Amino acid sequence: MRGSRKPAITVMAMAAAVTIAACSSSSGGSPAANSTTSASSPASTAKVTLTWWNNGNTQPLLGVWQSIANAFHSAHPNVTISIDPIQSDLFTTKMPIALKSNNPPDIFQQWGGGQEATQFTSGKLADLTSLASSWISELGPAAAGWQVSGQQDGIPYDQHVVGFWYRKDLFAKAGIPATPTTITQLESDDAKLKAAGITPIALGGASQWPDAFYWEYFAVRECSESVLQSSIKAVNMSAPCFSQATKDLTSFMATSPFEGGFNAVQAQTGAGSSAGMLANGKAAMELQGDWETSVVPALTTSKNLLSELGWFPFPTVAGDLGNPTAVLSGGDGFSCTTGAAEPACAEFLQYIDSTPVQEELVQKANVGLPANNAAEAVLSNPALQAAAHAHDTAAYDAEYFDIAFPTDPGLALDSALANFFAGKGSNSTIIDSVSSSSGH
Amino acid sequence: MAALSASADRYSRRPDVVRERRTWLSIPASYLVILLVLAITLAPMLYLIAGGFSSTAQLNTDPNSLPHPWVWGNYAAVITSSAFWQAVYNSALIAVVATGLAVTLGSMAAFALSRYTFRGREALFALFIAGLLFPLNTAALPLFLLLQHIGLNDSLLGVALPEAAFSLPFTILILRPFMRAIPGELEDAAIVDGATRIRFLLRILLPLSRPALITVGILAFVQSWNGYLLPLVVLTSQNHYTLPLAVTNFESTYTQDTARVFAFTGLSMVPALAIFIFAQRKLVGGIVGAIKG
Amino acid sequence: MARTHSAARRPNQRHRLRKRVELTVLLGPPLVLFIGFVLVPMVFAAWYSLYNWSGFGPLTDFIGLQNYGGVLTGPDFHEALEHNLIIASLSVLIQLPISIGMALLLNRRMRGQTTLRLAVFAPYVLSEATTAVMWLLLLEPGGPVDALLKSVGLGGLVHYWLASTSLVLCTLFIVITWKYIGFGIVLLLAGLQGIPAELREAAAIDGATPWQVTRRVTLPLLGPTVRIWIFLSVVGSLQLFDIVWIMTGGGPADASATMLTYLYFNGVQRTEFGYGATVSVVLFAISFVFALIYQRFALRRDTAGALTRAVG
Repeated sequence: MRGSRKPAITVMAMAAAVTIAACSSSSGGSPAANSTTSASSPASTAKVTLTWWNNGNTQPLLGVWQSIANAFHSAHPNVTISIDPIQSDLFTTKMPIALKSNNPPDIFQQWGGGQEATQFTSGKLADLTSLASSWISELGPAAAGWQVSGQQDGIPYDQHVVGFWYRKDLFAKAGIPATPTTITQLESDDAKLKAAGITPIALGGASQWPDAFYWEYFAVRECSESVLQSSIKAVNMSAPCFSQATKDLTSFMATSPFEGGFNAVQAQTGAGSSAGMLANGKAAMELQGDWETSVVPALTTSKNLLSELGWFPFPTVAGDLGNPTAVLSGGDGFSCTTGAAEPACAEFLQYIDSTPVQEELVQKANVGLPANNAAEAVLSNPALQAAAHAHDTAAYDAEYFDIAFPTDPGLALDSALANFFAGKGSNSTIIDSVSSSSGH
Repeated sequence: MAALSASADRYSRRPDVVRERRTWLSIPASYLVILLVLAITLAPMLYLIAGGFSSTAQLNTDPNSLPHPWVWGNYAAVITSSAFWQAVYNSALIAVVATGLAVTLGSMAAFALSRYTFRGREALFALFIAGLLFPLNTAALPLFLLLQHIGLNDSLLGVALPEAAFSLPFTILILRPFMRAIPGELEDAAIVDGATRIRFLLRILLPLSRPALITVGILAFVQSWNGYLLPLVVLTSQNHYTLPLAVTNFESTYTQDTARVFAFTGLSMVPALAIFIFAQRKLVGGIVGAIKG
Repeated sequence: MARTHSAARRPNQRHRLRKRVELTVLLGPPLVLFIGFVLVPMVFAAWYSLYNWSGFGPLTDFIGLQNYGGVLTGPDFHEALEHNLIIASLSVLIQLPISIGMALLLNRRMRGQTTLRLAVFAPYVLSEATTAVMWLLLLEPGGPVDALLKSVGLGGLVHYWLASTSLVLCTLFIVITWKYIGFGIVLLLAGLQGIPAELREAAAIDGATPWQVTRRVTLPLLGPTVRIWIFLSVVGSLQLFDIVWIMTGGGPADASATMLTYLYFNGVQRTEFGYGATVSVVLFAISFVFALIYQRFALRRDTAGALTRAVG
């Protein structure tokens, strides 16, 4: 009747607010207690259950991870691994929430580089430097990309390399005898393909990162290794070689090598994707990672697609200062969260990187290139072997920029490049995209 | 009270004796318009259902033709998968609880906000409406922390309760004018008969508000059925997944089994459509006009 | 409509107390649920907007209103807001008449009424993610829509529906209309059912033509429901996200960006959680201003009681 409602509401609101405040503060700083241990004895004998978030939510990876977890459990009966497969794109939403909660997963998937560095600020990533010191050298230089401030906070289980996948049958049809080694040759091959009525290159512009590959490769060709690495570290692309890369890209795009309407074409998901175009012979080439062989078979009804696919590295640019054999690369890996389960987690990651398990991942799950080079011998697809060879003999690996940079500038760069491809923006928008924190 | 109920029933169930034979659009023409709209609405849905009988490879290679060969495997795989039925159960449980709570609490609040006068009433109404205006994306993190604190994370109730809460604004928004439109004389008569206000609510007002209640019920149900962000944030174990989350299992890191997605989604719609038909039967069969002057 | 007093409503202490109790019982549970699960998270989310925060780790970098400066002066946000407003206007101008027309048609007794309503409502029941995937397939170059146009001789109309920066927003509007028209029709049907047939009969008996009956009797009485429709539609347009995000990601070149795709890209993906919270608050403020203005000019008439008087 007369103002009798308000005090009750206020009290309820305050009670709720106080409750929330208490929760948030308590979940902020305390170390995560995220496994069930029966005693404080060393992890190698204590009973432990590890929750594992990975992106193997479909076959064959789903089954392969499960069998690997089961095999590990047989060898270490005190360690049980419980898998929660989560679709890849959902990690962006779920990881910040999980790392803010008081019970994050013991093992989770991440992609290294600056993204890992951003997650590192949560304080929940376990430092595996000492736990992995005995075996990390097996992985060679790849493991260095998974360190944050000198600490080994993530361990890769596979590696990726980006190059040109092409259709041998379409090249033959257009009368192209050999794969191009320079950009000029590539452009003339494009012209031959167009004359034969074939779209030269498929591009998944809607996904944005395929656009970025082109510019980044031009940057890798134009910039010396030291300039590239120091620029990435400083998150600063003012060095002139980057602007030169934009010039190279502009003149390459002027030859119209891509399909019409590429801005709306997805890279892989759904029908009508650029990978689908390559699979169905609607385009002759695609600049993509080694995962292409696991993607394209499902996108076409033709049975002998894989035998028609070849691979060649990104061509060189005339007069470039960068290294002609450097490759754009990345990988998948896992991190452990802090807590009593760290030793068991580290042991499991070591198991995943052991040669037999790596071979299983390559053969049964098509993960691409193994993190442990010793397992490369079991690669059966010649195109993949060519990619692996290029990766192994590269002067150095340049991590794709959107991973190498912290997440924020990395995605800003992808967006600026996609806009550039769509006709919006200029060289300065690209260069400046990584400098201001919001870049709007 | 009985006499009053009977008179209210008389108002609510009066048959529509005068058929509208003359209308501004003749019967054949109106059928034509409806069929045209139906064609536009249904054609993509039929494409979806047919796509479930195709294969992803074929959808990529030749999206414009009917499936050839006709593949039963997608629908069969979905119907026989326990994950699908588990997700149907989870979605149904959450939707029923969320809808029940939203409609019940929403009616109570709408009744109070429409038939009582008290200070701060409009401000309270505005407070409820304000809940409609804030996007869920950033509120998801604090909501998750709250749920974790009260132990509801990774639980179905932890999804149903916030869904009910988020459905309250539009439920109240729609119910309030309907309830307001019931004449005060009915209420006066009820009170003269010795009934309490609450009794009036239960025995007279709610039955008279049936079209509105059924409508908000359907809308809340479908909203919960297709809810994506809340279940994504709250649920972690696979066996708690609702249908929209379970669909993501047909999408891997690099690719998507589009045909399987179509089959799965086509089948996911069936329960919600069934509820709609059931509710519409109640609507169409029952009420024409309840109020006289 | 004069206010009548009955013996039961003589204001006295007992009745005041009873009223208080009734209001507590009626409003208590909804409020607790609402405040706990909606308002409190909203307030906390708003609090994040004052920080430069990635979403990981503790809240340490307090920057006050700096985020707001970034959002409000950024051209990208303005562009996104413009797109939202375009969609909102188009919904009222295009979707509303179609919805009203369809609701009037579907309100009649006719054979298969329930089936027809089901068919119109079905797109609303389809999940947003799959709607987006399906339309991506339908709209791809050379895909079913293009093939259909060519087969009826309209091949000249074929465009890059999603790749063209000038067409993409309209294409998305058509997809959104397809999806949500059922919602509006069901809502308007509920409103139509609240209109007593006797009023229409009376007007017809008085000699009004069917069109006049519709225009002078039905439509005005449908007014309150239409005004709710407009409110929900505008708010929904301001919060447009899922379909746009999956189909175009806001592209190409931000040609289809909405405020929420802007929020998701900058706030969630780019791990600038504080900035994202700022966008939420700004979006809320815009919606709130609209709601206030709308309440004053449009809904006020309805809360005064269209057909009957208010009760004490």
